[in-house]
Amino acid sequence: MSLVTIAYYVLTAFLLGLVIWNFVREKVSRDRLVLYLLVMVPLILRLLRVK
Amino acid sequence: MRREATVKASLAAALAGLVLWGGLPLYRHRHFGVPVVKGPGVTAVLKLSEFSKGLEGTAADTTVFVLQGKEPGGRALVMGNTHASEPEGMLTALIFIEHAVVEKGTLYVIPFFNASAGRNTRPGDGYPLYFDVPTEWGSKRFRFGNRDASPLDQWPDPDVTVHYPTKQLLSYIDARNTNRTWPGRPGGLPMERVTFGAMELIRREKVDLAIDIHGAETMFPVTNCIVAPEKSVRVATMAALTVKAAEGFESHVEPSPPRFHGLSHREIGDHSDALPFLLEAPIPFLDQPTGPKTVEFFLDGKDPFLLSLSKKKKLFVPYDETGWSLEKRVGQHCSTTLEIFRQFSRRNADRALVVKGVPRYAEILENGVGHYYADPSKAAPGTVLRH
Ligand SMILES: [Zn+2]
Repeated sequence: MSLVTIAYYVLTAFLLGLVIWNFVREKVSRDRLVLYLLVMVPLILRLLRVK
Repeated sequence: MRREATVKASLAAALAGLVLWGGLPLYRHRHFGVPVVKGPGVTAVLKLSEFSKGLEGTAADTTVFVLQGKEPGGRALVMGNTHASEPEGMLTALIFIEHAVVEKGTLYVIPFFNASAGRNTRPGDGYPLYFDVPTEWGSKRFRFGNRDASPLDQWPDPDVTVHYPTKQLLSYIDARNTNRTWPGRPGGLPMERVTFGAMELIRREKVDLAIDIHGAETMFPVTNCIVAPEKSVRVATMAALTVKAAEGFESHVEPSPPRFHGLSHREIGDHSDALPFLLEAPIPFLDQPTGPKTVEFFLDGKDPFLLSLSKKKKLFVPYDETGWSLEKRVGQHCSTTLEIFRQFSRRNADRALVVKGVPRYAEILENGVGHYYADPSKAAPGTVLRH
């Protein structure tokens, strides 16, 4: 795996961390909770090396 | 507070379920092995990484089947699944691996050229994950791949692909397209290493003929043809005329554009002594304006929308109620490949290539494609590979 690829996996994990953080902190909107989860799907699938 | 936690936990559980439900089939597809039964003509099995060290241990490495004749002669390379969404080339290559017996010369067959693309999927376009070819012993299952390598094996994509060595600018997606990364380079991106491996095989083994088998939409102008650069045109033209006269199917010759880089029919000829050919047969399944992308449609090539477009003269091939079956497509590829060998051998007696045992167009139409695949569970031990 090249350095650039590794950097992209690190970026993906970082983004996923941010979204999880927002999800945990969200107090008001249920819609937002669902949206956070949907944004997580491609990030998780890439980190698990599924898609 | 507790209520909020419960809501979050149940939403997160729903997400986990969704990821598993959607992800597991994709994971299984990537790890599914297609059985390849070695026929009596296979004399050696190599890895492409033997010609391109940078592929070693990667998902882009692939298998090269060698069929060496008793008598020395010409050498040919046959490639399938350069685009894994056009599996006719791979199906043709497997027929050669199971049935070809080389009497003179040597045949190199790479059935899964872009091995990573063969493990990539196209769920967004509604493509099935697998297709099953009916045989006398049941059906043989294949992965339906994508046109480009999986981002799991080459990531990220560049904004624009800069072709090596010409610096021609290509679409970003072409960095994962093994018909834009020729001639490749040893330390380049994984797909450049794949094409470099094939270039090295061609140069080191002194390959005379390189045949890259594809398929294309019926609405795409370059279909049902042999794409050939200047140096291959004579052999291609004779092969096209002969199959039309003797076997009754059309496969005209299209010149390879000299300034469009990265394509096998351009770069193989420019970077080696081999004569390249790229075969196209129409795959109605690949067209955009069709009904659902079902396996049945892939197999029979019948679609009511294409039929109405055909009546409006929007297709580049004749198309009627009979569709364009897998048998026709694979049959054309087998016959055209054999005919290219024959036409080259007629002009180069010292480099002749004599291949027996491979069925031609009419036989495949009559018996079906699956007839030529042996039951892997009944094959002799040590003759089955999973790819
Ligand atoms: Zn193609």
